[in-house]
Amino acid sequence: MVAFDYAPERPEHIDTILNGLDRYNPETTTVFQDYVAQQCESQTYDAYANLALLKLYQFNPHLTRDETSTNILVKALTVFPAPDFSLCLSLLPPHILAQTKLSQQSNGGPAPASGTLAEAVQHLNTLHTALNNAAYTLFWSTLESDDLYADLVADVQGFEDSMRVRIAVVVSQCMQEISRPVLESWLNVRGSKLEGFVKEVCGWEIEGETVRIPLNSENEARGTVVKEDVRFEQFGRVLKRAYEQPA
Amino acid sequence: MSVRQAPTYQQGVPQRQADDNSDVEEEALANDYREQVGYEDGQDYDQGSMGGGPQDLQAQLQAAATPLEYQATLETKIQSYDSYCNLFHFILNSEGPVDIEVPSHFWAWDMIDEFIYQFNSFCSYRQRLAFQQSSTQVNEEEITILRENPNTWGCYSVLNVLYSLIQRSQISEQLAARKRGEDSAGYTGEYGGRPLYQMLGYFSIIGLLRVHCLLGDFSLALKTLDDIELNKKAMFARVMAANFTTYYYVGFSYMMMHRYADALRAFNHILIYVSRTKNFQKGAQYDSITKKNDQMYALVAICVAFYPQRLDDTIHTALREKYGEQLTRMQRGGPEALPIFEELFRAACPKFISPTPPDFDQPHLNVDPVEHQLSIFMEEVKTNMFSPTVRSYLKLYTTMDLTKLAGFLEVDADTLRNWLLVNKQRSRQVRQSQGGLLEGDVVNSSDLDYAMQGDIIHVSEAKVGRRLVDWYLRNLARTY
Repeated sequence: MVAFDYAPERPEHIDTILNGLDRYNPETTTVFQDYVAQQCESQTYDAYANLALLKLYQFNPHLTRDETSTNILVKALTVFPAPDFSLCLSLLPPHILAQTKLSQQSNGGPAPASGTLAEAVQHLNTLHTALNNAAYTLFWSTLESDDLYADLVADVQGFEDSMRVRIAVVVSQCMQEISRPVLESWLNVRGSKLEGFVKEVCGWEIEGETVRIPLNSENEARGTVVKEDVRFEQFGRVLKRAYEQPA
Repeated sequence: MSVRQAPTYQQGVPQRQADDNSDVEEEALANDYREQVGYEDGQDYDQGSMGGGPQDLQAQLQAAATPLEYQATLETKIQSYDSYCNLFHFILNSEGPVDIEVPSHFWAWDMIDEFIYQFNSFCSYRQRLAFQQSSTQVNEEEITILRENPNTWGCYSVLNVLYSLIQRSQISEQLAARKRGEDSAGYTGEYGGRPLYQMLGYFSIIGLLRVHCLLGDFSLALKTLDDIELNKKAMFARVMAANFTTYYYVGFSYMMMHRYADALRAFNHILIYVSRTKNFQKGAQYDSITKKNDQMYALVAICVAFYPQRLDDTIHTALREKYGEQLTRMQRGGPEALPIFEELFRAACPKFISPTPPDFDQPHLNVDPVEHQLSIFMEEVKTNMFSPTVRSYLKLYTTMDLTKLAGFLEVDADTLRNWLLVNKQRSRQVRQSQGGLLEGDVVNSSDLDYAMQGDIIHVSEAKVGRRLVDWYLRNLARTY
């Protein structure tokens, strides 16, 4: 059971703010900002609290700190394919995304000015699209294509490693065997490093050019027949009727 | 029928029957609804008498639940805001609870509904005006007024009203107590026991759901309903418009969280209810419902395109009638389907708003929030664009070579591998089964499953056995 608003490591004082009206109090902005910084450092993640901060920014645009906003977006990338990134975008001011959209038009509209939030969001959106389309090779090459990317993800400790783990999870859900070159390009690690990652972190086996993934409930592809569950309570009314109206 | 005599919103009675699909309950609800409509027709309030005292207040309460004229001027809209403020101030901040009979059973809903509706349309209007001032001739006078009153219909004050009503009435505590199976009477406080406060508090929760959704905060919208149990015995279900609104916003929020199965469940529930009770619906109330009804069918079409599912027969037939062609094209997928998704989303989404006043000095920055949410949603649509194609081929095979299938689809093997991964990930969805609306388990939502062994795709199908119990029980109930 996973609840969207649940985060195991959430400190008590954050929880209190989130559950009370203080979540609208502009003075809590700094508390949330510190919390985001803490998440970036300790490799934890609290979507619900981060959305609360974006909401404060939405209500009080003058308080917005671009750096924190992008950190939240980068953090949201690390949990793909969850909808978190989209949910964060929904709370950004509409003109930010409109600017990135404009520059993607075929006739080549103006690119967002350098150093703006719009530029950062545009870049992160490109990464998000690549991840969502499972184009992992493209994701890594994009990430390395521009120094701005390095800047954007710099605050988030272990970004690349968490992305690798996420991709590995997807692979383990879909694959029983995968060829080594494909896996190398998806994870962007090669040689002995790949071997280490595959064996130590994932617990998979390498046989020559093939990587074998142990069977789990997701990658088995076994046909099933879904049967209906019948609860006794469903018949309650019928039985009651039987007693009330003797034939 | 006074609210005092009808403690009908005591939901969460300990041994609530787990059976949510019974005809008898529908029947009872339908009767109930008929009663309400009859009551509405019969009511006759003397709105002319402004004799001060309670009568004056009665008139104010009535006015607060009455829609503004369509052609209302900006001045009227601002005045209306002021009178809401005064009324809420009086209700919330008088010494002790205000002692007054509520005009009617559904008055509290009408008032909250109208309050939010005016807020919503005011914000949209202001935004549009600010955006258009660069391209078209707009009323300068109005812009000046709007510039000078940035806090009119402000987001903070609207939220403040709703939260204050909730707190004053201690409705959350009351609902939580009922959920635990206790008597809520012990938790009402000085205010919460009175119908006026209790009902305003209750519908403010639904109002919050709506406001959060309008502002694009979909997870918080669903979180707001934590204390309310979505079932036919809930208090909101007694007021048709409230019932309808609740499920629309719940379903929509789920859709934006990519939880299509949950969204469909919400839409299905209310659409079936409407189709069964439509014979007793009449008048203006029915017209407003008809529009929302069509919007919901459009959303059902979108969700079904993402998440193929067997629908209830009534829903299925109506859907084919209203959006048959669009649905077929969306289910086929590919780039040609994108404009259809866009069209339906635009027609069916709520009128999103920005919480802050627009920037009148930089018109181009005041982009319509609807476009904003649309472009975010379309990203998700584009991701899933090729899933229908992939699924339609895989259904034909039990094992298939990746390169061969790539040849059929005229794409390279790498692209196809990506599509397969995308489709597999999207077939795993969070689905709520119990607890709060934000909870849920990840389940395989597709009847098709597959795994890749190198370049070989192994396909398996989950066959759904016939669902007989419901059919059996329904027919049994009929023969009695």
